[in-house]
Amino acid sequence: MIAGRAALQRKSLTAIVAMALGLVAVAALAAGTQVFDPKTRKWVDYDRTKARKYYAAHNEVPEAFRPQMVKFRTAEVPGTIIIDGNQHFLYLVQPGQRAMRYGIGVGREGFGWAGIVRVGRMAEWPTWTPPAEMIARDPNAVKHAGGMPGGPDNPLGARALYLYERDQDTIYRIHGTPEPWTIGLDVSSGCIRMRNDDITDLASRVKVGAKVIVLMQGAALYKGV
Amino acid sequence: MSAKSSVRSSIRAIAIGFLAALSACVSAPPPPPQDQMSRTKVETAPADIQLLCADAVAKASGADSTKILPVSSGKIDSKTYQVELDASGKKTSCLVDTDGNVKSVQPT
Repeated sequence: MIAGRAALQRKSLTAIVAMALGLVAVAALAAGTQVFDPKTRKWVDYDRTKARKYYAAHNEVPEAFRPQMVKFRTAEVPGTIIIDGNQHFLYLVQPGQRAMRYGIGVGREGFGWAGIVRVGRMAEWPTWTPPAEMIARDPNAVKHAGGMPGGPDNPLGARALYLYERDQDTIYRIHGTPEPWTIGLDVSSGCIRMRNDDITDLASRVKVGAKVIVLMQGAALYKGV
Repeated sequence: MSAKSSVRSSIRAIAIGFLAALSACVSAPPPPPQDQMSRTKVETAPADIQLLCADAVAKASGADSTKILPVSSGKIDSKTYQVELDASGKKTSCLVDTDGNVKSVQPT
C-alpha cells in the first residue's frame, strides 16, 4: 500500500515536472515572431533558421518586413521615428496620419530597451568600434577593438543613426546590416538593425535632432526616461 | 421517376449539400491585409495606439510628454486595448479602442 502510494506520488511529481517544463517551453515561444505563408495560408513560426532559409530562397525578407506606407494615427510630428521592438517595425511619421514602415531586428533577450531619445548624428558606411562590454563578452570583437573600417562586412552596414539622450551618446544606434535575414528577429545587442537599402532610405529622410521613441514591452527603460 | 429513384436523388442532394457545407467549414481563412502579414504570439497594442495613450496622459496630467512612455499593452476584448505607461516613474493605465479613441486614463 505504502509502495503503491509512493509510486503514485512519483507519478504525480513526474506529471507536475512535465507540466512545468511544458509551460516553460510555451513561455519561451510566447514572444516569437510568426509570418503568414500565402502558399499554405497558415501562420508559421519565424526563427533564425527559417529566416535564413527564406532569404536564401527569395533573396528577400518576408513581405511584412519590406518598406511600406501605412496608416498611423499620431500626435507626433512628421519626421519622428517610432520603433515597435515587439512587432519588429520602425515607423517614420509622415504628414496626414501616415507612416513609412520598415522591418527591423532588435535586441535579443536581456538586450532590449525602451526609451525616448534623438538622432544625435548620422554616418555613411561608418567605422564600427565595439563597446567595452561587448569586447568583454565576445572574443570575436577583440580584434576590432581599435575600430573596423566601414564596408560590406561591417556590422553597422551602409548607414548609422547615433542615438543620443540629450547631448550624451547612448551607445545605441539604428544601422544597416550585412545579415539582412535577421530582420524580424530578436538578435542584436540592443541596436536597431535594418536592411542596407532601408537604412539608406531612412537616413535620407531623417534630420539630426529627430525624436526617436523606442517601445519594447518588458524591456528595461533607458535611463533618463 | 419511381419512388425509389426519387428517394435516391434526395439522398444524393442532401449528401452533396452536406459535403459543400463541410468544405466551407474547413476552408482556409482569407489572408490578412498586406501590412499585417506578420505578428507575434503575444499581442501588443499597435504602436500608434500606445502613443495615443501617452498623448492622452500628457494632456490629462500636464506632464512633459517626452517623459511618458508606454511600457506594456494587451488586448482586453476584441475592441479594447489596455496600455500601461511610465511617466518619470509614475504608473498610469489607459484604455483605448481599436479606432484610437482613448476611453479612460487612471493612475495605478
